[in-house]
Parts: sequence; C-alpha cells; structure tokens
Amino acid sequence: MGMRALLGWLLAAGLSLAASAASAHPHVWITATSELLYAEDGSITGVRHAWTFDDMFSAYAVQGLESKKKGAYTREELGPLAQTNVESLKEYAYFTFARADGKKERFQEPVDYFLDYKDTVLTLHFTLPLKDPVKPKQLVLEVFDRSFFIDFQMAKDNPVGLVGAPSGCQMKLDRPSDGTATAQKLNEQTFMDGPNANFGMMFANKITVDCP
Amino acid sequence: MIPRLHSRLAHGLLACAAVLLVLSLADAALHDLFAQNPFGGPRPAAEPEAGGIIGWLLAKQSEFYRQMSATIRAAKSDGSAVWTLLAISFAYGIFHAAGPGHGKAVIASYLVANRETARRGIALSFASALMQALVAILIVGISAWALNATAKTMCKAEGTIEIASYALIAAFGLRLVWVKGGAFIRALQTAQPVPAIAGVPHNHDRDHHHHDARVHHDRGHDHHHGHGQAHVHQHHGHDHVHDEHCGHSHGPAPSELAGPGGWRRGFAAILTVGIRPCSGAILVLVFALAQGLFWAGIAATLLMGLGTAITVAAIAVVAVSAKDIAQRLSAARDGGGALFMRGIEFAAAGLVLLFGVGLLFGYIAAERTTCF
Repeated sequence: MGMRALLGWLLAAGLSLAASAASAHPHVWITATSELLYAEDGSITGVRHAWTFDDMFSAYAVQGLESKKKGAYTREELGPLAQTNVESLKEYAYFTFARADGKKERFQEPVDYFLDYKDTVLTLHFTLPLKDPVKPKQLVLEVFDRSFFIDFQMAKDNPVGLVGAPSGCQMKLDRPSDGTATAQKLNEQTFMDGPNANFGMMFANKITVDCP
Repeated sequence: MIPRLHSRLAHGLLACAAVLLVLSLADAALHDLFAQNPFGGPRPAAEPEAGGIIGWLLAKQSEFYRQMSATIRAAKSDGSAVWTLLAISFAYGIFHAAGPGHGKAVIASYLVANRETARRGIALSFASALMQALVAILIVGISAWALNATAKTMCKAEGTIEIASYALIAAFGLRLVWVKGGAFIRALQTAQPVPAIAGVPHNHDRDHHHHDARVHHDRGHDHHHGHGQAHVHQHHGHDHVHDEHCGHSHGPAPSELAGPGGWRRGFAAILTVGIRPCSGAILVLVFALAQGLFWAGIAATLLMGLGTAITVAAIAVVAVSAKDIAQRLSAARDGGGALFMRGIEFAAAGLVLLFGVGLLFGYIAAERTTCF
C-alpha cells in the first residue's frame, strides 16, 4: 500500500465525515415582514413580525385541525396553534436579535399573536415588546435561525416598516445571499471559527436603522 | 530504516485521521443538542457545515426539497408529474445523505468497531434506510391518515420514537464499548512485540503469517466473550471476500469472523439507525396526504430512502476501506499493530456511545418545547 494511496483514502474518509456533518438544511421556510414600532417620543418599543410559512410546513401544521369549512381555517380555529407557536419560540429568543448602539436588547413575551391561513399557507403574526424602550442612534435587528433549520427570507415587497419613526430615520436591509454563495464565501471563516456555532448567522437578515 | 519511517508516518496519519473522525462526529453530536425546531416539525438531522462543495450540496438539497411541494400539487392534475416527483425525491435522498439522526456516523462507527466488510456495510445501509422510510410511512399512515391526528400528536409520537432510538444508540454503543474495551485491554496486556517479525513489513510472506497469527488471536478473544461467534468455523470459506479484504491473506475475512452472531448484531444496527424516521419524509408525507395523494408521498419517501441508502453505503465503504488500510499497515508492524487496531475499534465503539448519550440528552433538553 503506497503512502499516496493511503493519503487518498484518508482524505476521502475525512471528506465523507465532513459531508456527514453537513447533512442539515432548512426544513421550514419563512417569508418575513417586520415592523419597528416607535413611541411618540421617538423611542423604539418593539417589533411586529408577520411570518409566512412555506406550503409544505403549513400543511403539516394544520394537519388534523378541526375547521368548519374544509380547507379553510379561521383565526379562532388556529388560536391554540398560534399560542403553542409563540410559547415554543421563546426558547429560540424568537429568532429576533436587537442591538441598540451596540448594546444587546431583550424582548418581553409576545403579545397580539394570531395565525391566519390564506392560499394554503399559514402566517404567524406577533409583536415583541422590548423590555425597555430604547432611543438609539443606531438599531440593528437580525432575524435568523442559527441552526438553519428555518430559512428566513425577508419579503420581496415592503420587508421592513418603521411605524411612527421620527423623520430622518434611515433603514437599510442586508439580505443573506443565497445559500450557495454564502456558504462558499464563509467557508474558510467557518472552519477557522471551529465549531461553527453561528452558522445560521450567515443567513441572517440584518436590518439597520440610523436615526439622527 | 525506510519501512520503519513509513510505518511511523502511517501511524501518525492514522492518528490524525482518528482525531479528525472523533472531532467531526463529536461536533455533529454536540450540534444536535442545540438544534431543535420550535414549530413542532421534525427536527433536523445534523448541523450544517459550510464548504465549497458542501455548501453547494446544501443548496441543491434545499432546492430539491422545495420543488417537492410544487410537484405534488402538480401531480393532482397531471399524472406525469409523479415521475418528476420520484426523480426529485431520489436526488434529494442522495444529497440529503445522512437522513435522520446520525445514521451514517453510527453505521460507519459500527462497521469500524466490528471489522465488517464493505459488502455488509452496503447491506446495512440499505436495510436501515428502507426501515427509516417505512417508519415514516407508518407514523404518518397511522396517525395522520387513519386517526387524523394533529401535527402536535404526530410530533409527540415522533418524539417518543426519537427518544427510543437515541436510547438504543446509547445502549448499542455501551455494548460495543464493553466488548471492544475488553479486547483493547487484552491487546494492551499482550502487546509485547514479537521481535522476529518486526521491521520487515514489505516481506509479504512474513506479513501474511503475522496477519494470520493476529487474526486467530482475535478470534480467540471473541470466543472468550461469547458473542455468538462460536460458530465461526461453519462459515469458513463460504465467503468470497478475500480479494476485497485482506489481499493476499489467507486468514479468515472479517465477514467470517462476524459469523451468525454478526448478523444478529447487524440487525441491532439496522434497528438502531432505522427506527428514527426521516425528518423531511414526514413533512412530504403529510403534505401529500393533505393533497389527497398519499400514495405519491409514499413513493417519494421510498425513493428518498433509496437515495439516502446510496450515499450512506458509499460512506460505509469508505470507512471500511480506510480501516482495512489501517489494518494492513498495522499488520505490517510488530505487536503494536494489533493493539493499534483494537484501539481504533474501541474508539469507534466509544463514538457510538457518545452519539447515543449526546442525542439522548439533547432530546431531553428540548422535549418541553419541541412539539405543538
């Protein structure tokens, strides 16, 4: 057995194992719109999300639910499901991460949550109030799943709204590029970071709001 | 001098490979602890790891998966779309590779720990993938189709099976560790080198004697442990594998060493890996059911399983080959070679245990919130 052949095999074995670690990919797709809510004094009080699930997951989620009309679900009929959803989301910090002038901000439990079902897809609406309203020069809001089980995409049209923001505030949205490009670009960095705990960060949707 | 050097280099490389193996597997296991899905859908198989080719695979996988729902819808009105669905499912299965849990890693570790042949590796891969597909079909068939259960109920059923499967992996790993640990310790005790053969690894004849001696030695151990390998002799010669296994060796091939008890062990591996259904498959099945095309979902799931089996089998073959090479190289060495191999087997057994325990605890941590 030549050394070269051995090296070849070892390389193959290593690659297979690396590939085995790469088995995950999103199983749920969410198209999101997010609104930043402002108080009259110009401080930010919270975030209002509307997350539309893909049709495969939507079908899964409504499986077996009772509805008066077949194939249609009212907000009331979906009430218990919405509640379970927001309760479950707590563990994942609602996939919503805010920083005000670089300082991490925390959210309270969601309010005003409900699901609606339209054109065979579910949309989860909920509002996340900030623990303490903030009035930063710059607010950064990121929406993503670090485990990349859920693929978050901001909606094509009007992805981000600033509700009642003071005049002069500028919003910028950085979308993740598609998985291929991002994964390739961040390849080296990921390996250097060791256990790529923040893999999903590459897929983050980053909303930056600068106010005068 | 040169053979010595080679041998040392080889051992160094193998040690590196072993470390790499442990790290990547442990990494996958650890990640699973954190990977849960809040919406009650099936949980992900493992964590993603980006890379050039891997990133591309990842994207491809998602692409195929996303095409499935549209294709199932299309199949409602256009029967020919079913063929597209089957093709997509098959491709998805291949790309999805690991399928649920750490099937691949567990199978590979098991094969290495048990000195299995590539052929058996392939058989195990296909059997476990088929079982995975069938479990998914059964879960959705019984709970959603027959009982019209909600996603919450299905998820709970899935969760229970998941716990059971992780516990099985842990138990399976524990047993392997027990057995292989014993063999390793005995190898340590008898590791005094046999000087006569040392240092001339390129002499095939001696090589071969040496190898034989070692294999017989192993067999002795197995007898001690009584893993149902007492009937080894009956199986002498029924196998074919000389060429693909030990090259010029006339010693018993691992398939023979495995014996009938080996198949029983193999079944344990199939059950351990196959009992946890494929995450994606459950979603596809429920979706197909909602479209009134449950049968198309079943066909898609089976094709997905076939695709997964091919990938897992390929990895199993690589794992077995890598180990065979290690074995050949270490056989060319003095008494330390056997010890080295027992060490690798012991490490592989440990990995299976590590997986089981890691997955089990990961699951428990997530149990409260995973399901609707």
